[in-house]
Amino acid sequence: MISVRGLKKYYRVHQRPPGLKAALGALFHRPHVTVKAVDGISFDIRPGERVGFLGPNGAGKTTTLKVLSGLLHPSGGEVSVDGHLPRRREDAFLKKIMLVMGQKQQLLWDLPPAETFELNRAIYDVPREQYRRTLEELTSLLGLGELVQKPTRQLSLGERMRCELAAALIHKPKVLFLDEPTIGLDVSMQAAMRDFIKRYNEQHGATLILTSHYMDDVAALCPRVIVIDKGVLSYDGALDELVRHVRPEKRVVFRFAREVPQIALAELGKVVSVDSVSAVLQVRTEAVNSTVTRALSTLPVLDLTVENPPLEEVMSELFSRSRAAAEAAS
Amino acid sequence: MSLKGTVRAMPTLLRVGFSEAVAYRAEMLIWVLSTTMPFVMLALWSSVAHEQPVLAESGRRFGEAEFTAYFLTTFVVRQLASSWAAWEMNYEVRTGALSMRLLRPLHPLVAYGAENIAALPMRIAVCLPVVALSLWAVGTSAVPRGGLRWLAFLAALLGAWLITFLANVCIGCLSLFMQSSVKVMEVWLAAYFVFSGYLIPIELFPGWLRQAVDFLPWRYQIGLPVELLSSMQEPAGALPLLGVQWAYVLGLGLLAQLLWRKGLSRFAAYGG
Amino acid sequence: MSRYLRLLLVQLRASALLAVQYRSDFFIDGVISLFWTATAIVPLLVVFQDRALLQDWSMAEAMVVTGWFVFLNAILEGGINPGLQAVVEQIRKGTLDFVLLKPADSQFLVSTSRFQLWRVSNLLAAAAIFIFAFHRMGRLPSLGGILASALLLVAATAVLYSLWILTVSAAFFVVKVDNLTYLFGSIFDAARWPATVFRGVVRFVFTFVIPLALMTTYPAEALLGRLEASKLLFSLLGAAAFTALARWVWMRSIAHYTSASS
Repeated sequence: MISVRGLKKYYRVHQRPPGLKAALGALFHRPHVTVKAVDGISFDIRPGERVGFLGPNGAGKTTTLKVLSGLLHPSGGEVSVDGHLPRRREDAFLKKIMLVMGQKQQLLWDLPPAETFELNRAIYDVPREQYRRTLEELTSLLGLGELVQKPTRQLSLGERMRCELAAALIHKPKVLFLDEPTIGLDVSMQAAMRDFIKRYNEQHGATLILTSHYMDDVAALCPRVIVIDKGVLSYDGALDELVRHVRPEKRVVFRFAREVPQIALAELGKVVSVDSVSAVLQVRTEAVNSTVTRALSTLPVLDLTVENPPLEEVMSELFSRSRAAAEAAS
Repeated sequence: MSLKGTVRAMPTLLRVGFSEAVAYRAEMLIWVLSTTMPFVMLALWSSVAHEQPVLAESGRRFGEAEFTAYFLTTFVVRQLASSWAAWEMNYEVRTGALSMRLLRPLHPLVAYGAENIAALPMRIAVCLPVVALSLWAVGTSAVPRGGLRWLAFLAALLGAWLITFLANVCIGCLSLFMQSSVKVMEVWLAAYFVFSGYLIPIELFPGWLRQAVDFLPWRYQIGLPVELLSSMQEPAGALPLLGVQWAYVLGLGLLAQLLWRKGLSRFAAYGG
Repeated sequence: MSRYLRLLLVQLRASALLAVQYRSDFFIDGVISLFWTATAIVPLLVVFQDRALLQDWSMAEAMVVTGWFVFLNAILEGGINPGLQAVVEQIRKGTLDFVLLKPADSQFLVSTSRFQLWRVSNLLAAAAIFIFAFHRMGRLPSLGGILASALLLVAATAVLYSLWILTVSAAFFVVKVDNLTYLFGSIFDAARWPATVFRGVVRFVFTFVIPLALMTTYPAEALLGRLEASKLLFSLLGAAAFTALARWVWMRSIAHYTSASS
């Protein structure tokens, strides 16, 4: 469905030094630097797959999505989406895809979303009958109801985002790019969006690429993740595998009958947090068994659970490691 | 989008555009109020003519009635032959909203054009009182007769709209190359005010200037249609001017295409 | 007081930085000012083609009015417009709250937030018009005339600024009217001709309601040495009253804004 080979995207940017004097200097000579937003990325995505792009800010995730949707021309490499070269922006291609950006909107600001739906129907040349059915389905799945008749500016962010998704799906795109679709939404709204996106993918077999700052989005939606860091692909595979790779430790959460001395805990493993009657320990996966046995025999344990470390922490560790590596190299 | 598809989508584009124009009626009213310059000019020139009619080099005498007819028509023509695509494009490039347009299988320039045309009914509504006022002020006898004159006027009006729109698009495209093209639009507007016949009938310009103005695009945005409707220009005599006007339409159309294509590949290189 | 002076300097410096960044504006503003000067002069050339006097203004005298128009336009577009245009934008986006949070006078902060320094080129055009006009008349303005017109310039700037504040205040009530600025500009355009040229209602409006006469005609008359002292006095009083009115309306509008927004 999607194939990317050695994708590169470089920008030349002017530098704007601060200060009046430097600005005066820049009147005559403007220094510029080349920024390598994406520097040689390759991957393939099969039809119907759900893939998450992970990476710190400015890693090149959004740039890659924009190249895939034809908004940016690559500086090098080959990109093909369902047999099309995105940069040509052929109508047939544009009718197959959609890019939803959480920070930008296509809904007409001062008109009800229904008008934008109607406009998109005309622009994407969707047959009336199909349009009616799609809209019915979207309305019930997203709980739009009366919303579509209110001017967009009067909608809350969550309501607007739901309508935004509906507007993006009127033409039933086969490939859906989602750039931070849940940004700014509250937790329950995020969960609802995730459910909807997953259901859309399962029912229509649409291919889906998602970037998000919320790890929960990625964990819930994407069996496969691609980690992009400083424009380079640093991991491509299953999410669990990535977690095991970065953090081969498990967390053991204890609840005690009475207070336990810290020293006793420290002997068992690395103490992540502790308060009067509970504690979290970090233990190597292969040592989990022995640690639990020892704890049960030496400490007043009421109950215990073994967990994976939180995804957010895994990511921040991954990215800080790569930063440290880059600093060491430079 | 294929031509057929575009044509099929057009009614909806226009209808939604009209709804938008209705939603922005307060804005439009303000805009119309800000184009009342012809009335100020009317007040000024009729005071001037009140003392003594102004004599053009051509020998035509401009009295109060002539100025009234001229400037009221000017107001109407400016309302009808108007476009704001340059500001729209500039804004959308700056905010990145252009990306949303590019994702759609419809040529963005067609979309801009449809939006501008869709606002026309609202504008005509604004013009109606002015037309009524003109008829009351100068009498129905001033309304031109003869199908040929009306045909020539409509051709000139369409040409005027196209020049305005295409110039807007060209300047709007410039914002793909520079930080903001609003400044360039200001230059264009300044020249437009001076050379279009908006402030003074072109016939009153000094001779050398009048000839130069015939070669510049601005007089075809206002002057030509107004002169045709207010009978200062005979349809047959205006044919060469109509020719120049439509040559400008063609030229600006080609330029707009070129700038759009070049600008877009730049936009795609730098990102929005 | 000195705190506000310091603030003004800081804001001016920021504008200077911006002006340097957008260096092509210098040329473009120059070209625009040339055109606008032409729009002001060409009608005069046409009118005076076949007559020596228009309502007892000779061409050179009418040009002095035009000169003041160009001068004030420079002040309007360089000093007054940009800051207040920014307010309209801020009201629309709802970022005006940040300004209101700051421990300084809101009117001062928004009025000084931005300047278009390249518009200075318009002042040169105005000077050229004055020189040309007085050269044609073959005399120089009197010292008293210059002093009186300088006083009137202050009054005119105050009135212009106050009118602007009044216009912008409207944006608090009818949001999304960013073209208010154009409305104002187009009304001000009428100030390029001597107010006495207009007749009837139009003259009344331009003298008392939108005091365009005070802004360009009176300073020109002062420079020509034929302004009655009473007009000067009334102008100064009127300007003071206008400023107070604008201040009052601004405070009311801010109160309305803070109570209405959520």
